[in-house]
Amino acid sequence: MIRVEGIHKHFGALHVLRGINLEVSKGEVLVIIGPSGSGKSTLLRCINLLVEPDQGRVFIDGVHVNHPDIRPEWVRQQVGMVFQSFNLFTHLTSLENVMLGPVRVKGVSREATEERAKDLLARVGLSAKAGAYPAELSGGQQQRVAIARALAMDPKAILFDEPTSALDPEYIREVLDVMTALAREGMTMIVVTHEMGFASSVASRIVFLDAGTIIEEGRPEEVFETPKHERTRVFVSKILR
Amino acid sequence: MVPPLAEERRRRTRALDTLAAIVLTLGAIAFIANLFVGRTGFDFAYMQEKYPIFLEATKLTLYATTLSFVIGMAIGFFVGWARTARIVPLRKTLHDHARFRAADTPRWKSRLGAVPLILSSTGKYYLRRVADAYVEIIRGTPLFVQIVFAWSVLLVNYPRLDDLGLIAGIAALTANTGGYQSEIFRAGLQTVHAGQAEAARAVGMSRLRAMRYVVLPQALRLIIPPLTNEYIGLLKASSFLFVIGVQELTTVGKSEAFREFKVFEVFALVTGIYFLMTVPLSKAIAYVERRYRIPGLGMQQARTARV
Amino acid sequence: MGTVEAAVRPAFRRSLFARQSAVRMAEILLGGLLFLVLLQVILGFSLLDPDLWRVYSRSFWNGILRTLGYIALILPVSVAVGFCLGWARVSRYRAITWPVSVYIEFFRGVPPLFVLIFASILGPTLLPERFQSVELGLTLGALTIAFHSAAFQAEIFRAGFQSVSRGQVEAAQAIGMRGLQSMRHVILPQALRLSLPPLANEFAVVIKDTSLLAAIAAGELFHLSQRIQDTIIRGGGSLDWLFAIWTAVAVVYFVMTFLVTRAMLLLERKVHARGLEALAL
Repeated sequence: MIRVEGIHKHFGALHVLRGINLEVSKGEVLVIIGPSGSGKSTLLRCINLLVEPDQGRVFIDGVHVNHPDIRPEWVRQQVGMVFQSFNLFTHLTSLENVMLGPVRVKGVSREATEERAKDLLARVGLSAKAGAYPAELSGGQQQRVAIARALAMDPKAILFDEPTSALDPEYIREVLDVMTALAREGMTMIVVTHEMGFASSVASRIVFLDAGTIIEEGRPEEVFETPKHERTRVFVSKILR
Repeated sequence: MVPPLAEERRRRTRALDTLAAIVLTLGAIAFIANLFVGRTGFDFAYMQEKYPIFLEATKLTLYATTLSFVIGMAIGFFVGWARTARIVPLRKTLHDHARFRAADTPRWKSRLGAVPLILSSTGKYYLRRVADAYVEIIRGTPLFVQIVFAWSVLLVNYPRLDDLGLIAGIAALTANTGGYQSEIFRAGLQTVHAGQAEAARAVGMSRLRAMRYVVLPQALRLIIPPLTNEYIGLLKASSFLFVIGVQELTTVGKSEAFREFKVFEVFALVTGIYFLMTVPLSKAIAYVERRYRIPGLGMQQARTARV
Repeated sequence: MGTVEAAVRPAFRRSLFARQSAVRMAEILLGGLLFLVLLQVILGFSLLDPDLWRVYSRSFWNGILRTLGYIALILPVSVAVGFCLGWARVSRYRAITWPVSVYIEFFRGVPPLFVLIFASILGPTLLPERFQSVELGLTLGALTIAFHSAAFQAEIFRAGFQSVSRGQVEAAQAIGMRGLQSMRHVILPQALRLSLPPLANEFAVVIKDTSLLAAIAAGELFHLSQRIQDTIIRGGGSLDWLFAIWTAVAVVYFVMTFLVTRAMLLLERKVHARGLEALAL
């Protein structure tokens, strides 16, 4: 459903992505692991075109999307994103945050959106906080609202960029629970994370990215327990302690 | 296929952009200049001939500004310091004093000891209020009014004073910059003060030592940029002495412009002089700020409301 | 202290706050009154002299009206121009940012009084003879103050725009918003709220700047008061009257700046999105 071919990206002299080829099918949960600076976030942002690849092609549902003729905004409506620093709109309440996309971008009516937004907030367990501003919410709550916001756009897939890395430990569980539920419901997800527990239990496939290239990919058991490459083994041993 | 040409395209747009920027900027300036002196041409000879007069005026401007600034700094420091004083309600002070009376101190003694406490507390209160009032008035009224007010005070009391205008002007500028500088000093002291003085005391320093070795070095680094900004602002404010006839740069500019109607030439010359005084200073601050920055330590700088 | 505050019910806390600010207002008024009385005692009881007011009151009230008129012209123009310039300053195209920067540096480098005087002289020369008039000079002078303030407001707005964290922009893009949309729904609401406090300060400055128009005989409060001052001096009238006049003028400006900053404070409170300052400059 999502496919990238030969993706290269440079930031100045730094060659961040060196020829990435990846494919994600519908309903799959792909987890990307790797050391910091390996290009994981960049890769994610190349998929929803927040970053323009220097070389290579990105396909969503067979459509070549990093093409001058395709509007990036359209792409981002197909693929949602959840950020490490939540990035909730601080001047809007939770409900308004979730409603903004459908109302202003898709042009859905306010009443219909409000109904749906309330449902989504209920789905992530935050009905009670519909009228609260982001500053009044804990990190975990903010991130769950962010997930609801991404869901509001009815995306075909959602990209998660280290969604729990900025959270205090007591809030990580609640966000991972929401993500697990989402996966069970069949959402296509690409997740960059260090949460190995989540990766082992929910991911259908793991990809290990290091210094801009995919070193290894496979099922969680394969990558974690019987890695084929030395670098994978070293990294996994550091993470799994 | 997004080609590597994307990089090439970006570079070309950049170059075009820069070219357009240069053309637009220089073109606009040339166009404006042409509007005014297109027909008669720029009279350079006039400027060469007249510039000594402007030089004198510039010297006066710098003199008045610098003098006011320096005296104002003294005022600003003390007023700013006064404004960092926290006002504790008298009731609380007395309450604490009574509560922590040692068991063997008789009540009358404790009550006697409260008297100096009351005096210093109310003293601090009124000092703080006076300082507050001073700054509020300076900030709430136009400099024009302050200058004319000072001038009229001097006129009434010392009508035959030489250079009455200049003295009044410097007095007003001093009071004015003192008020604004006090805000700078206050902000500087407060930014550093929180916690630092406490930490210094915890290490065993006396209040004075803490001030000298911990608070001041940091505060100094913080306040130099806004103070320099204030100096630049004062330089521009010196033009207000125009209103009482002091022969500073703007006054002289206006009278010269009217004498021979070389208005644009005078305008360009005086603008140039003001730029020469202010722009290098601004750039210098920016440089110093960047170089001596302490990461994590900074003050918000609003436009020091100059008028 | 923290636990006490947490225990206090919100409604009570609000009324406590209101009570404190009412006390503060009373303090200011009382203090102001006391100060005026003191000033008059020191400088010679002239503020309430009816003879003075017979001479001065017409100029006084006309001056105030004129000043208000100028403020009504200058403030909106300065905000409009300043906002556009501030927006231009964050553009990625040098062709836009360079000319704007030159404009801003120009107005920051020269005294407003100076530019004002020369603009009112030079400006009319640009237009054909029949449009030239005293009125035009005055209007141009007022506009110069507006443009001068706009340069500073541009910096305020620019800082406001740049304070909106990058993540907000990314998030707006991630839900499919185009540049203009994200500007309108995400960046602007936040940038404007962040700009309000320094803007209030700038407005106070503009109000005081209107006194500069006296240099071109604009008939506002300062200018008319100066004329009365000259009359008094030449006519050998009581010089104590001078203090009275300038005290009255100072009070008027003080009240105007005070009202404007209060109004902006109320506006700030009204549009306050809880927690927005957490991101501030």
